[in-house]
Amino acid sequence: MEIKIPHLAEGISSGTVVSILVSEGDAVKKDQTLLELETEKAVAPIPAPAAGKVAKIKVAQGDAVTIGQSVMLLLVEEGGDSQAQGESLKRQAPAAPSEAPMNVPQPAVLPARYEAVQAGGQLPPGIPPPASPSLRKIARDLGIDLARVRGTEHGGRITLADLRDYIQQLQQAGAAPAAYPPAAAVRPPSPPVDFSKFGPVRREPMTHLRKKISEKMSESWSSVVQVTQMDEVEISALLALRNKHMAAYEKAGVKLTLTPFILKAVVRTLQHHPIFNASIDGASQEIVFKNYFHIGIAVDTEQGLIVPVLKDVDKKSMLEIAREVNDLAGKTRERKIGLEDLQGGSFTISNQGGIGGAHFTPIVNKPESAILGIGQGREKPVVKNHRVEIGTLMPLCLSYDHRLIDGGNAARFISDLVQALEKFDESEVLLRSSETKPLAVKKGNKVKK
Amino acid sequence: MKYIETEIVVIGSGPGGYAAAFYAADHGKKVILVEKDLELGGVCLNRGCIPSKALLHAAHLLNEVRHSKEMGISFGEAKIDLDKLRSWKDSILRKLSQGVRSMGKMRGVEVMHGRGYLEDSRTLRVETTEGQKFVRFQKAILAVGSEPAMPKAFDLGNKRIMTSTEALELEDVPARLLIVGGGYIGMELGTVYAALGSKIVLVEALPNILAGADPDLVRPVMKFALAHFEEVRLSSKVLKMETYLKQIKVISETAGQKREELYDRVLVSVGRKPNCDELGLKNTKVALDEKGFVKVDVHQQTSDPAILAIGDVAGGVMLAHKAVKEARVAVEYLCGEATAFEDIVMPAVVFTQPEVAWCGLTEAEAKAKGIEVKVARFPWAALGRALTINKPDGLTKLILDPDTERVLGVGIVGSGAGDIISEGVLAVEMGATAKDIAESIHPHPTLSETLMETAEVFYGISANSMSGRKIERQPQT
Repeated sequence: MEIKIPHLAEGISSGTVVSILVSEGDAVKKDQTLLELETEKAVAPIPAPAAGKVAKIKVAQGDAVTIGQSVMLLLVEEGGDSQAQGESLKRQAPAAPSEAPMNVPQPAVLPARYEAVQAGGQLPPGIPPPASPSLRKIARDLGIDLARVRGTEHGGRITLADLRDYIQQLQQAGAAPAAYPPAAAVRPPSPPVDFSKFGPVRREPMTHLRKKISEKMSESWSSVVQVTQMDEVEISALLALRNKHMAAYEKAGVKLTLTPFILKAVVRTLQHHPIFNASIDGASQEIVFKNYFHIGIAVDTEQGLIVPVLKDVDKKSMLEIAREVNDLAGKTRERKIGLEDLQGGSFTISNQGGIGGAHFTPIVNKPESAILGIGQGREKPVVKNHRVEIGTLMPLCLSYDHRLIDGGNAARFISDLVQALEKFDESEVLLRSSETKPLAVKKGNKVKK
Repeated sequence: MKYIETEIVVIGSGPGGYAAAFYAADHGKKVILVEKDLELGGVCLNRGCIPSKALLHAAHLLNEVRHSKEMGISFGEAKIDLDKLRSWKDSILRKLSQGVRSMGKMRGVEVMHGRGYLEDSRTLRVETTEGQKFVRFQKAILAVGSEPAMPKAFDLGNKRIMTSTEALELEDVPARLLIVGGGYIGMELGTVYAALGSKIVLVEALPNILAGADPDLVRPVMKFALAHFEEVRLSSKVLKMETYLKQIKVISETAGQKREELYDRVLVSVGRKPNCDELGLKNTKVALDEKGFVKVDVHQQTSDPAILAIGDVAGGVMLAHKAVKEARVAVEYLCGEATAFEDIVMPAVVFTQPEVAWCGLTEAEAKAKGIEVKVARFPWAALGRALTINKPDGLTKLILDPDTERVLGVGIVGSGAGDIISEGVLAVEMGATAKDIAESIHPHPTLSETLMETAEVFYGISANSMSGRKIERQPQT
């Protein structure tokens, strides 16, 4: 079977082959990564849709490829073949990966209220919407059903401009919750302001990532009822603990920052307050409690905000967390992060401590229900045992979805979080015996130098 | 066993097959084109569209000459050199077939001559003159076409009982020719043989000829047939045929009345059947429908993941241009493009005298499906150009959506209808309205003007026709 570049994410139509992980003649397992593709947003692995043998590789490292392009030929083992092929028989559009990334657009269909009524009412059966063949081709490529597009020309004929309007409506509708019919969604965008009237200006196109962030933020802002709960935590003890163990972690090859402590404490608190690790399923009117703790970590990159996700934080040691956070952040800044590392988060942390600033109001990363913002820890006078002392106060800002979570929950959560950070369990920080030994071997060569 | 590896093998080199092979090669695929005949081009080029159009051109010329007396021009009796006519026709086929071959060569398409047999879903055995060859393919496109159906009762092994294939060979001009079946093949070949001098009796089982075309479009063709054929028997059946000396004895029945007649030749044109036998389909997962055509989805994909089918063998209307479009869809699909054989406006042309052509929705179809339509008609007798070429028998009609005035279908009968219909196809494909056609200037004096005139009839503003419709409002802009 042909291995084709699948639909990866909204707006991504091409990429560059960064690595080919198999050779011709290799036997591969189902879901084994065949090659990696660098797109505007991230590095995406292309997995094998079925087990088989690589018959032919049609691309080379560095090649530019587009969605739908055949890149490899896989001789599929008996049995798996017919199933995989049978699926493509039914499919209208080119193949999409079975595990769609979070950002994959929903089928481009507007809620009923936006649906255009054909100028002449219902189309007779078997009669396609009035539009030119070239426009119908565009609609097919975009996966848009032209029967839903309002044609403005005589006879309800649909033009490219009509299709454009419809897509614009779709985008606006996507940014608005179904429960709140927004007048704004159908209102045309406000007329552009000529800023140059007021002084010299410079214009730059929005990058793909910036557009993406903008869309996600508007969507979250307009659909989630957000409240931010503030507090401060005194971290002198935590810093002392960090400093105490820093050398041991350094030996293990990892710089110990506050982030692993915060992650541990957050997960501990989430375990006691599962509603902060839940999501609303609007369609079924149910609350989805997640029995996993995948924590998104906002990373400030040159291009803009990206939130990689650290999976199963509850099951990992401090060293593992420290190392993986560093890896994730590094990969993200180099834009080598895989799509699988960008999805599945159940709670997000946005730590601005390294940059500066105190309290702020982070925006909930939909479909999650809460996000913790962290400001810079600063020395301040604190009252301890009726005496004023110097302490280090770190601002905590917990934004949450008030549709799901009440203020009392939030106050309890943040208090428990403060406790967890102030009375951090030292046994969590100690390196496990298995974590100290193999590293010496690994690093052996370098140490000798 | 040595296998020849290829990405795509196309079986059959008719207009669908060679188009598929060439498109695929243009997309950078390695392609092998397998053809059982010595010539490329399939039925269309060798035994169908092209030879019949060559002979029809000769027939039209003969008819023109015979009618030139009205214009004061006399040529005397036409002399027909059948051998020369045949070799002129064959030279056209050769030229076109050579053209296909060289286009394939330029694209690096490997042509393999021999009957193809699918050993399994990945292997095609080809019986070439150099022995068996085995092709291992990733995808196969079946484009094996169809052949004339010959009911068992008529299959006497007598060469005087012909299908279109033999009729186009033009072995002789029979004095008396019976044509069984008044579809487009029977009508076109009847026109040829009538012009060459045969006395033609046409027997059609249905109450009208050219099934599928609206009856008002058929009328001028019927008028021609009645004038040029000895007889047209509708709602009639041929019951039996048998060899009788150098003739064929035919027993037929019309309105309960049987008759026995002798004919010098019989042309059986009762339909075509798909070439699904002897292809090894049983070794694959390809499924057939109840009529024996290969089942395909909108991507021309068969039930076998590795095999696609296009053209006649895939069912639907059996027209070369349909096969070509399907070839494009199949190749685009194999290349991962978003494509489908859906919402396609299919034109049909019958090259009778006059020609009949239609596309999109027909009036009869609208009625059958309960689709409310308005129909605007313009008779050619009012058209200057039609009179100057002495062809006043014609009609153009638009089938319109009553609310949106959108053109859903176009039907034309008249000289050159097959060329004029393309504008109709464009109008239907573009979702144009009658207004769009009325507002577009059509040059005068031409036959294409009839489309504009018909649209004007709809609005009651045709200068050359009284539509009876009053202008109720200012035309919308």
